[in-house]
Amino acid sequence: MSFFDSLRQKAPFLDKLADSFTPTLTRDEKFRLKYKLPANENILEDTNAEVSFATSIKDGKGHSDRVNNKGRKTAYVYSGRLFLTPHFLVFRDAFDHSSCVLILNISTIKRVERSPSESYEFALLVTLYTGAKVLIQFIGIRYRSEQFCDKLKLNLKENIPNAKTLPAFLETSYSEFLIAKNILGKKDITVPRAGLGQHFKYPGNPTMVKEKAKLRLWFDYFRENGRNLAVVQTPMFRKLIRIGVPNRMRGEIWELCSGAMYMRYANSGEYERILNENAGKTSQAIDEIEKDLKRSLPEYSAYQTEEGIQRLRNVLTAYSWKNPDVGYCQAMNIVVAGFLIFMSEEQAFWCLCNLCDIYVPGYYSKTMYGTLLDQRVFESFVEDRMPVLWEYILQHDIQLSVVSLPWFLSLFFTSMPLEYAVRIMDIFFMNGSITLFQVALAVLKINADDILQADDDGMFIAIIKHYFQTLGQSAHPDSSDIKYRQITKFQELLVTAFKEFSVISEEMAMHARHKYEKGIFQNIETFMKRTQLRHMPKTFNLSSDDLSNIYDMFYQSIETYKISMGTGSSNMGFEVFIQFLSKFCDSCRPCEKDKDPAFRKQKRNFLQRLFDNWDSAHIGELTLNDVVTGLDKLVTVDLLQAINYFFSLYDTDGDGELHREEVLQLSEGLLLLTEPWKSGRYVDLLTKKRIEDDIAENIIKESGGEIATMNQIELPTGVTIDEEKYKVEQAERYLKAASNFLQRSFEYAKAVDLAEEVNLIDLSDDEGEEKRTVKQKQLESIKANAALDPTHPKVIDLPTFRMIILADETYELFFSNTLRSSVHVDEHVNIDNKNKVLRSMFDGILADGKRVAEQVRRRVDSVATRSSIASVESTPTAAASSITTKEEKYDDLDDFTSEHQPENEELLQSSWFEIDDANETSTKAIQERSFEPLSANSSEEKSNLIEFEA
Amino acid sequence: MNTSVTSIKLVLLGEAAVGKSSIVLRFVSNDFAENKEPTIGAAFLTQRVTINEHTVKFEIWDTAGQERFASLAPMYYRNAQAALVVYDVTKPQSFIKARHWVKELHEQASKDIIIALVGNKIDMLQEGGERKVAREEGEKLAEEKGLLFFETSAKTGENVNDVFLGIGEKIPLKTAEEQNSASNERESNNQRVDLNAANDGTSANSACSC
Ligand SMILES: Nc1nc2c(ncn2[C@@H]2O[C@H](COP(=O)(O)OP(=O)(O)O)[C@@H](O)[C@H]2O)c(=O)[nH]1
Ligand SMILES: [Mg+2]
Repeated sequence: MSFFDSLRQKAPFLDKLADSFTPTLTRDEKFRLKYKLPANENILEDTNAEVSFATSIKDGKGHSDRVNNKGRKTAYVYSGRLFLTPHFLVFRDAFDHSSCVLILNISTIKRVERSPSESYEFALLVTLYTGAKVLIQFIGIRYRSEQFCDKLKLNLKENIPNAKTLPAFLETSYSEFLIAKNILGKKDITVPRAGLGQHFKYPGNPTMVKEKAKLRLWFDYFRENGRNLAVVQTPMFRKLIRIGVPNRMRGEIWELCSGAMYMRYANSGEYERILNENAGKTSQAIDEIEKDLKRSLPEYSAYQTEEGIQRLRNVLTAYSWKNPDVGYCQAMNIVVAGFLIFMSEEQAFWCLCNLCDIYVPGYYSKTMYGTLLDQRVFESFVEDRMPVLWEYILQHDIQLSVVSLPWFLSLFFTSMPLEYAVRIMDIFFMNGSITLFQVALAVLKINADDILQADDDGMFIAIIKHYFQTLGQSAHPDSSDIKYRQITKFQELLVTAFKEFSVISEEMAMHARHKYEKGIFQNIETFMKRTQLRHMPKTFNLSSDDLSNIYDMFYQSIETYKISMGTGSSNMGFEVFIQFLSKFCDSCRPCEKDKDPAFRKQKRNFLQRLFDNWDSAHIGELTLNDVVTGLDKLVTVDLLQAINYFFSLYDTDGDGELHREEVLQLSEGLLLLTEPWKSGRYVDLLTKKRIEDDIAENIIKESGGEIATMNQIELPTGVTIDEEKYKVEQAERYLKAASNFLQRSFEYAKAVDLAEEVNLIDLSDDEGEEKRTVKQKQLESIKANAALDPTHPKVIDLPTFRMIILADETYELFFSNTLRSSVHVDEHVNIDNKNKVLRSMFDGILADGKRVAEQVRRRVDSVATRSSIASVESTPTAAASSITTKEEKYDDLDDFTSEHQPENEELLQSSWFEIDDANETSTKAIQERSFEPLSANSSEEKSNLIEFEA
Repeated sequence: MNTSVTSIKLVLLGEAAVGKSSIVLRFVSNDFAENKEPTIGAAFLTQRVTINEHTVKFEIWDTAGQERFASLAPMYYRNAQAALVVYDVTKPQSFIKARHWVKELHEQASKDIIIALVGNKIDMLQEGGERKVAREEGEKLAEEKGLLFFETSAKTGENVNDVFLGIGEKIPLKTAEEQNSASNERESNNQRVDLNAANDGTSANSACSC
């Protein structure tokens, strides 16, 4: 799991932070990034130290160790900082962090012993598999040094199984081959399997690129400074890379600089495994890869053969399985084709992994946000560094990205001839993605004079194309100075890029990315939204605004999905579905009754039923289209359709009939859906009308029947309503509807035999709270009784169901209006606020003075003759004080939707915290425990000479 | 130099592999090739034709095929005066995509953009391929949305030139002149207030304004 994933799990509110393209990195992350170490290499210990090296190479006869005659090298003592991670020992000098950088995989350590040291209290002599020795002198508090050593010792012990794989790994290393062949005198040794260039020739003329001389330099370097998994990087290392890596060495150096080598060593066999496990499978990525295989560096001869094509296919498909979020993106084919000339499949695979993860994140993602972002950053650099040129480009409406986009996306591979592109790659792997900016800027700078003559994109493209095709030619053909004439355009490019534009730093790029990422992400998101909304299924009841709203809520709910980055699954699982509906469906909002386990279970059952009904592909996940189609049915304006749809939810076998069990479940579902009205959290139209009627009557009463025109109607202000009364009334109406429904269901069911018909208690009379709960219980027992009779099968068909619903005013209204208007797809809901509460419902009624006024008028018109007005049971009072007290009391009782929802969510989330906290403390405890005995032991073990031997 | 050359910036859009690049290649070089380099980002080509004794220079932007490159498309249809929205008559899905592109252009591109809807690969129908998008369907969409409509084959060349000629005829010459003067104005404007112009230009020309 990536760092951000685990962070996100711990603290979802940190999501915004993780959204950022340029998050603040932790020390460990920075460290790993700098030395290109795999993801789990955290710093376990670090200390100040002085380090010196002695090269010792076994001679051809292989008897005794002999100190190299350049033994004076040991005289160099570097002072700096030493780091220990689970599998690495890393040292860097204190001077400029690059004079001496040692990156040592601990598998290469043969022996660690205490060194008899005069000047230092504490020193270790580390012997490597090559025989080379590293003398580490610790600086600092004694016990810290001891601790470091103990940890190292522990790591070494744990690493013993890994270390066994070292010899096999070294057989794949060309540097090892060079040493073995030339020093150890093993003439019969086989060349490690490397890139296609081995058989199909490397690009460029070997004498021209001085292959042999360069190989010799590297040979000397490896002999003195180590190689592959145990190498000291000095300024010479970087210099050798700058002058161009010899073709035979190139794969290994790319692999080493990119850290892909560490990945390959740590994950040996993984590449093969991925290929085997997915053999024969198909995917969209694979189809796309197939289309491009023949179009990847087709001019290189290997890619006209099945062998070359097959290697390319393997690496690209393996990656598409390894990282399905990226899958395959055009241009990867070109880049990998470039890698494979110099690397084995496995090397190229890990190199691609690190390229996508570390070097150019987001370039090949589903939204290509990294590409868009870096194009914008590049433009800002051009504007900043070459304002005249930038101005010209703007004025002539030249689309810079048409040339620059492929530079970044295919790393110059198709833009320049191969032999030059690979030189850029040498530096790219050493210095990172900033290299691309530096070279791109240099190309524009060098061609600026010509570009300033171009007046359209066509000429601009032609200039650049011509330039790249003539890179091998003299940069100054007309110069009288021979030396000057000999400078090629390519050399000029390197100088311009890496001298003049060395001021363009990784930090500058990061800063610029930070500046533009928001805009880019927004653009991507609106584009994605536009696109997706256009591909929505046809809806009959949802407007385009509704759809837009549903889209937003849908993706807000799926926290793991990042629209702009195109990562994560965009489907909705059941738990998220519950959260999603609870945001805007009144019946699904968290409520007081959720405390009742039976109710919670019913709710889940119903939601599961709905979920399964919407899950068109039966994959246990909903797509956005599923959700839209489902909601469209749920909010239908057609009464009969609404009833039919509800029926079909329960008629799972689709035979048009509901059996007893299904009827009971359906009635349970109805009870559940109508709960918010039954419990008085919301009012339906019938209640609303009742209230309006009462107010109207009251107004008429107070005016003494003297209202003649609309203008005379004084709207009630500051009136308070006896909410309790209406709530009770409404609750009773719903209970009655439920009871009637059950009764009628069994009455009208086919094959009726209601012999043991239960006495249905009349729920209609006016009673208090207590009695209602009693009735509720009785109602449930009725259900239970009816369900108890398995001997008399009964079924209800759709027409019967419809009839039963239509026979009840409340349920009819429920399907024609209440349900539909309780699904607020039209309101933009923010995750953490706005839930309609009863208070605002009543307020709404009062505020809607016009409707009340109309009521009054209708009454005046029709009832004017009636002299005595039926007594209004509760007289609205206008006392402001009573409103406030009411509100308080009211809030206490009923305002749980707004008040408790956050709490509910907290509750849901708190389990995460608890789990994580527990984990953290337990791992901490383990770590501490493991320290203890060691540090205790070590002081006694001081006399031990040999600390470790492999 | 020809004094009255009208430049038409034209962009090709459509699902991957419907034959956009092939149509361009047919129009520009009267050629057809099976294995071409994939289009990374976009390709730019030009072709001059004479329509009614007037030279028209097509500046053609051929966009990348892969779905994920679609979010780069706005860089290229920005300022386009004409667009070919291409689908494959044997692939119904590509027609759905075409509908999408037509909407996208109408909502996001310049107001008076001229769009031609192009059903490609009709040669496959003769070779036993099954037609999946009826000619009438294309015609209907074209009529609804006010598009030119053609069915073509980049392979045989059938109708390919007519598409471009059709577009060339639809773009009034007057527009071209106006355009020139408009762009002249813009340039002089830029020279006058260069500070603002630089700022305005940055956002307007942003390669990332999608
Ligand atoms: N039969 C036939 N094949 C075509 C036609 N146009 C393109 N193709 C083929 O369709 C594939 C995709 O063409 P391409 O131009 O790259 O499509 P693009 O992705 O839209 O640019 C190629 O294999 C072409 O050879 C056509 O008119 N008829
Ligand atoms: Mg193409």
